[in-house]
Amino acid sequence: MSAQLPANGLRIRRASASATPAPGIREGPEYAKLVDISRCIGCKGCEVACKEWNELGIEPTANFGSYQSHQDLGPNTWLLMRFTESEVDGQLNWLIKKDACLHCEEPGCLLACPAPGAIVQYENGIVDFNQANCIGCQLCVSGCPFDIPRFSTETRKVYKCNMCIDRVEAGLEPACAKTCPTNAIAWGTKEDMVRLAEQKVEGLRARGLANAMLYDPPGVGGTHMMYVVPHGDQLEQYDLPADPTAGAGALALLGTVRKLGASALGLGILAAGLHYLGFGPQAPEEDGK
Amino acid sequence: MKHSGIQRFTFVERVVHWVVGLSFLFLLLTGLAFSHPRLYWLTTFAGGGPTARWLHPWVGVAFSISFVAMFLIWLRDMRVDADDRAWLRAIRHYAVHDKAKVPPAGKYNAGQKMFFWTMTLLGVAYLVSGLPIWMPAGILGIGPFYGGVVNVMRLVHYLATIGGGLFLIVHVYLGTVAYPGTIGAMLHGRVTRAWAKMHHARWEG
Repeated sequence: MSAQLPANGLRIRRASASATPAPGIREGPEYAKLVDISRCIGCKGCEVACKEWNELGIEPTANFGSYQSHQDLGPNTWLLMRFTESEVDGQLNWLIKKDACLHCEEPGCLLACPAPGAIVQYENGIVDFNQANCIGCQLCVSGCPFDIPRFSTETRKVYKCNMCIDRVEAGLEPACAKTCPTNAIAWGTKEDMVRLAEQKVEGLRARGLANAMLYDPPGVGGTHMMYVVPHGDQLEQYDLPADPTAGAGALALLGTVRKLGASALGLGILAAGLHYLGFGPQAPEEDGK
Repeated sequence: MKHSGIQRFTFVERVVHWVVGLSFLFLLLTGLAFSHPRLYWLTTFAGGGPTARWLHPWVGVAFSISFVAMFLIWLRDMRVDADDRAWLRAIRHYAVHDKAKVPPAGKYNAGQKMFFWTMTLLGVAYLVSGLPIWMPAGILGIGPFYGGVVNVMRLVHYLATIGGGLFLIVHVYLGTVAYPGTIGAMLHGRVTRAWAKMHHARWEG
């Protein structure tokens, strides 16, 4: 397949709509971002850093009665701090969620994509959209269990956080992690980040947040952006699915039947050919030309 | 060359049929391209992936409109009656060219009528499942369809495609090499008397 590969030097583990396995065989470290929601002060510095580093244009905003900057993610807003007010036991809880691509180990977007090489997963675990190969069908949006990719009606392509892949490639942390003033966003190998998260969860529990948890959902094989959630019993209010899965249900069935479908058509043509060989044409007897 | 014989299809019928047929073929090939990575190369014939994706739903609109026209033109002739049921019971004899055991057919035999009705149902399935996939953000205030709706509709769209594709193979095979003299009905509109007597004895023009 002549899909155009990204210009960076990262090795690809997996590409969308690819009939053959990716050629990579070397095993490098997997990276992950850890967002400790309990340390976030809601400054939105990460949003600004994301826009700056990725050169994403300004999206005019309006006050809609929330501390949140934008109403929703967009094709050029890849990171949005969502603010939710929730009341538990008569106490106000201000739930903040760093809404951006979670870089699933089993990416639903990649599994749903029909365009070869439009979505790739690097060996370091980062999931990236390669717009040069995108056909604008938006099936990735429906494949994503976290509702992250956004379609641009202008370019007819889909966009999302690429974990500052150009920085990571150069050995730097993503811009949001670099700028965070409270170190709420940590960056490192997946292994280190899971260990750090466990320490943080333990600390939060010791402080009385009994439901504190690490959000690294197994239904998508774990993610490369994980959360330390102080109120693990309120995942719904955070808008975090309790048990997200990738490529399940109709998509899984589609994956199975499409393996048979094209073969069925091939067998149909073969059957017609065999019928002709077996029974021949049936022409009218006195069909004079 | 002036064609002798009897008129089977009018100019309008032939044009409508070919708009339906060629648009279906385009939709089938681009659809297959999106359905499996090994078939993605088929998008080349439609001007590449993004162009194929852009064209597919619009050709679908052309298919839907022309299909409605075809449906209305042929509806009257497609009623299934007692003779058709007898024909269907003898379909296994028809399949092996044992024509002595097959009841004579009218202008359309029961197999053609079943093809007509099956394609009508599949056409509805293509349209209903295709619209949410085309415009997942919503249509006329209905929607959005992102997520489960699109994924289920993809499955429906795909299964209907395989069904329609198999019927197309039978249709093209019977209309061309299996029954010489048939394709002319859809090209210049005429068939010979001998052809009509053999395939549609109760019609005779």
